[in-house]
Amino acid sequence: MTRYVARRLLLFVPALWAIATLTFFLMRLAPGGPFNAERDIPPAARAALAQKYGLDRPLAEQYATFLVHAVRLDFGPSYKFPTRSVREIILEGFPVSAELGGWALLVALLAGIPLGVIAAQRQNTASDTAVMAVALAGVSIPGFVLGPLLVLTLSLGLYWLPPALWEGPQSRVLPVLTLSAAYVAYVARLTRAGMLEVLRQDFIRTARAKGLPERVVVLQHALRLGLLPVLSYLGPAAAAIIMGSLVVEQIFAVPGLGRYLVNGAFSRDYTLVMGVVLFYAAFLMALNLLVDLAYAWFDPRVELK
Amino acid sequence: MRRSAPWVVPALAAILAGCAPAHDEAVSAAVGGPRYFGSVRPPSGDVLRFNNGAEPETIDPALVSGQSDGRLARALFEGLATFDPRTLEPRPGQAARWETSADGLTWTFHLRPGLVWSDGVPLTARDFVWSWLRVLHPSTAARNAGLLHAIAGAEDFNRGTAPDPSRVGLSAPDDTTLIVRLASPVPYLLQLAAYPTWLPVPRHAVERWGERWTRPGHLVSNGAFVLERWRQNDRFELARNPRYRDAARVRLDRIVAYSVDDLSTSSNLYQSGRLDWNTSGYVPSPFVPWLRGKADFRSAPFQAVYFYSMNVTRRPFDDVRVRRALNLAVDRDAIAHDLLKGTRAPWGRLTPQGYPGYPAPPPLGHDPARAREVLAQAGYPGGRGFPRISILFSTSEDHRRIAEAVQAMWIRELGIPVELRNMEWGSTMQATTTLQYDVARRSWIGDFLDPGTFLGIMRGGDGNNRTGWSDPRYDRLLLAARNEPDPVERLRLLARAESLLLADGPVIPIYHYSTVELVKPYVRGIWSNALDSHPLEGVWIDHAWRPGMEGRATERRHGLVAERMVPLLGHRAVQAQRPPAPGAATERRHGLVAERMVPLLGHRAVQAQRPPMTAAATRP
Repeated sequence: MTRYVARRLLLFVPALWAIATLTFFLMRLAPGGPFNAERDIPPAARAALAQKYGLDRPLAEQYATFLVHAVRLDFGPSYKFPTRSVREIILEGFPVSAELGGWALLVALLAGIPLGVIAAQRQNTASDTAVMAVALAGVSIPGFVLGPLLVLTLSLGLYWLPPALWEGPQSRVLPVLTLSAAYVAYVARLTRAGMLEVLRQDFIRTARAKGLPERVVVLQHALRLGLLPVLSYLGPAAAAIIMGSLVVEQIFAVPGLGRYLVNGAFSRDYTLVMGVVLFYAAFLMALNLLVDLAYAWFDPRVELK
Repeated sequence: MRRSAPWVVPALAAILAGCAPAHDEAVSAAVGGPRYFGSVRPPSGDVLRFNNGAEPETIDPALVSGQSDGRLARALFEGLATFDPRTLEPRPGQAARWETSADGLTWTFHLRPGLVWSDGVPLTARDFVWSWLRVLHPSTAARNAGLLHAIAGAEDFNRGTAPDPSRVGLSAPDDTTLIVRLASPVPYLLQLAAYPTWLPVPRHAVERWGERWTRPGHLVSNGAFVLERWRQNDRFELARNPRYRDAARVRLDRIVAYSVDDLSTSSNLYQSGRLDWNTSGYVPSPFVPWLRGKADFRSAPFQAVYFYSMNVTRRPFDDVRVRRALNLAVDRDAIAHDLLKGTRAPWGRLTPQGYPGYPAPPPLGHDPARAREVLAQAGYPGGRGFPRISILFSTSEDHRRIAEAVQAMWIRELGIPVELRNMEWGSTMQATTTLQYDVARRSWIGDFLDPGTFLGIMRGGDGNNRTGWSDPRYDRLLLAARNEPDPVERLRLLARAESLLLADGPVIPIYHYSTVELVKPYVRGIWSNALDSHPLEGVWIDHAWRPGMEGRATERRHGLVAERMVPLLGHRAVQAQRPPAPGAATERRHGLVAERMVPLLGHRAVQAQRPPMTAAATRP
């Protein structure tokens, strides 16, 4: 087990290096640079900026310097926000994205799993159809439609909740609902499929034959295996929900990390993009590792080598 | 203005447009009395909450170059002079008085005695000298350093060709006296002195904290407010500065400036009563026709022009007849009235309206028959043999619609092959800067109220020219204007330069910007002006205001305010503007404002970070 984890962690290194290298050169291939603007910048000032950020050095040297600093988790100051280092931006933005994503994931599991279990248990009944119809809608309606609709009704119509900003518990409700909707739906579908498969297995028939109450059969025997599809989905889902909240952050003016990546790419903020991409990559790999570990714990048939 | 993810904003705007409140003007008129957009409950304390727009890149006065950063810099710092938000007339700021030498080249400013920074350190004339030299020093890389080139020796120092700061025309013989020697007479110097680039910065804090001196806790200021909190992509919180020279007259205890870059989100916050002021550029354009009927909606001409430029280093734009034909074939009225629903005024000049005393040349007009004639003379009768050309624009729904309209006009009227070329913002900048385009969408915002701030960009070799066009006669006229001591003659020289530019030039002006903002009825002291600049030290919350005060009277009062917003200083805008569009009452109001537009001899600088270029910026 320890060796397994160590080996996986070692594999992070070449993967991160490849991602860093690719991003580094792709960013530089994009037309323009970080100091272009509608208003021109005088040549002397441009030269001073280039010198300050080392952009006047040969590309190979810039790359080497970047790698050396990256190993120390130092990505330098953001070009666009020169009073902040990239590390500060990540440390300030990520907890917000993580909180938003964490709540959304929790809602997705707390709502999705029971819905899926109910649907599976009552397969082909009206409640099954209803749950699955809602799930289909949840998956199909994108956040940039659902978000404004929720704002329009709950916030501007009924004045129950604030329409945006990240201040106080009430402000969490709409962004979390918007972000979690698709995941609730997906988790419900996965749970239902997993449960249906497990409920047809021999050991469940045995459990029922022994006269165990249905509640015990479903919740204690079937659920653990029935949730395996959800569990394997959890890694990518957690990553996507935490990193992919860009649209929700935009609609609700949430000061998370998601927007920096996109805006940074548009404004050619090389250091910011490099820092955020590498951070996300490492985060994603770590999540995947955790899911694999959890898988072994959940399913005795899986052995980590 | 800052930039947001360019694809998200239009996408959201488009969606919310669908949700925009239906036309219920008839209903509200029937109910009688003014209607406001959303909640009108004042905040409990003396707090102003507004959307400052996309996260500013910096709030260091030396480096600011846009609306959102400039607004904060001005709230935190005060220059030698400030200005009246209604008339834009200069008023004493940190300087109590000033005098000018007979030749207009030497200005002596007398600072108020006893000025201090917010940490109690005395503020002296030397702080101004140090701050301005800092802006000019090449290593500061200040985008707006050119605004200080009026000072003798400043340009060479800024370019690094004369590295001795003592050659720059600045001196501080004692703590309260500041002497500025100019390279040439600058009739608008006081306007410049109110511009963020000219604000003083605390040397002791800058030297101690380096680039991070603008962080809360480090930042020391001399304006009406101090910085308490700055959370990225979220908000700035400012508190009253008890050491401000005029602290007793500041009525706001706090300011919360949110950094919301999404237009719909911003308007939602305003509607729900969480913002007291939705600043210009953050009202979604699809809302405008509907919002116009609201009493808290304000619009006024804004000193900015939307135009196309042509790359004269490429065929066929090297032929002046081709450029003229393309210009004559553009129907600006159709774009402004039909496409943009009258939210913008059609415009046929590079300089905006309202410069007092400026004998503006006649605008470029629409004449398809003449366009075909000129094109035939250029060797392309009926468009035959004309090479395929493209219109370049950065990603924005409005830019696309306008480009499609111009494309259709050129194909229909001239029979030439035209295609559209859309790129994301950074790539568009690069393509225009390096002259890798045929026709490109551009815009320019004036820094100060003077035609020179627009005409200067088309000087040969200017970094903002981006057309490859240059004409020694044009450059000579601008130089002559710069050295002309007589203000009237100076403006005449500038007008001659503009006629030359319009006749020969590579620009196709399209529309004139307007500010569009929403201000809650209980907020006092915010006035629409051509610079979209709002000194916050005079703003206050009227807690006595009640929704019950609605009614005809209130409405009329608001109407008056709107008309008054451009005060007449004594000089009226000399320049006759185009007659207002027939129809809409609002349009007529615009017309009024336009004619009365403040004449200041001044000039304000232009700079726009990238303002109107996003759909975000000023809408109608």
